[in-house]
Amino acid sequence: MLAKDSLTINSIADNFEMSRPAVSKHIKVLCGAGFISIKDVGRERHCTLKQDGFNELQKWINFFDKFWNTKLNKLQSLLNQKTK
Amino acid sequence: MLGNLKVTYICVTLKLHNMKQEINHTLFFTQSPQEVWEYLTIPELMEQWLMKSDFKPIVGYQFQFNSKPIPQLDFDGTFYCTVLEVVPLKKLTYSWKSGPGERNIRIDSIVEWVLNAKENGTELVLKHSGFSLVDNLPMYAGLNDGWLKNMHKIAALLNKKHDGTTKA
Repeated sequence: MLAKDSLTINSIADNFEMSRPAVSKHIKVLCGAGFISIKDVGRERHCTLKQDGFNELQKWINFFDKFWNTKLNKLQSLLNQKTK
Repeated sequence: MLGNLKVTYICVTLKLHNMKQEINHTLFFTQSPQEVWEYLTIPELMEQWLMKSDFKPIVGYQFQFNSKPIPQLDFDGTFYCTVLEVVPLKKLTYSWKSGPGERNIRIDSIVEWVLNAKENGTELVLKHSGFSLVDNLPMYAGLNDGWLKNMHKIAALLNKKHDGTTKA
């Protein structure tokens, strides 16, 4: 992450209200879903963004893109034929 | 430590926000809304273009679409859906989930159909959105809504920040 971005993100974090338990819960969900990995280093938790979750999500969205193109084309021809 | 977690959460949320989150389509048919509605709600007609299902236009009803498995997506071939909204001849919304099998859910989303009556036919609008990966622990299931709301809040803060720095 660029230094410039990290300043922006940090200031957003400062302005973003979220309770400690809520953040903890959400981080666990994101970890389970494959978006981040968490490592305990001494007393600190280090979080790294993982590509896995994003890639998986992108694959599904790409699939549905093609899926709907195909299905809606079928619906269009089906109903167009009915008017002939 | 909380600061670190919050920053990570915001990074992930922003990255997700920048991904394409919605699929939109608009079609026009010369048929009446009644006829188009039937192709969205009667299983025998739905099967001709969409997929085989046990759909019923009843809010809260849980049904399935049967399709072919796709190993590359870890998809077992079944879409698990729950009817969320029914406004006859106008709007139909259902949740749309899928996963690796035996009812394990991995992807969650919402499909929304809107029918607009036009002078010479019907306009059909599809919106497939709300895509999220689901951690398989049921106690976290309720977080999806909150997460989406947070995504919008964070994106708004980011936009405000950018606006602030571009003003002379």
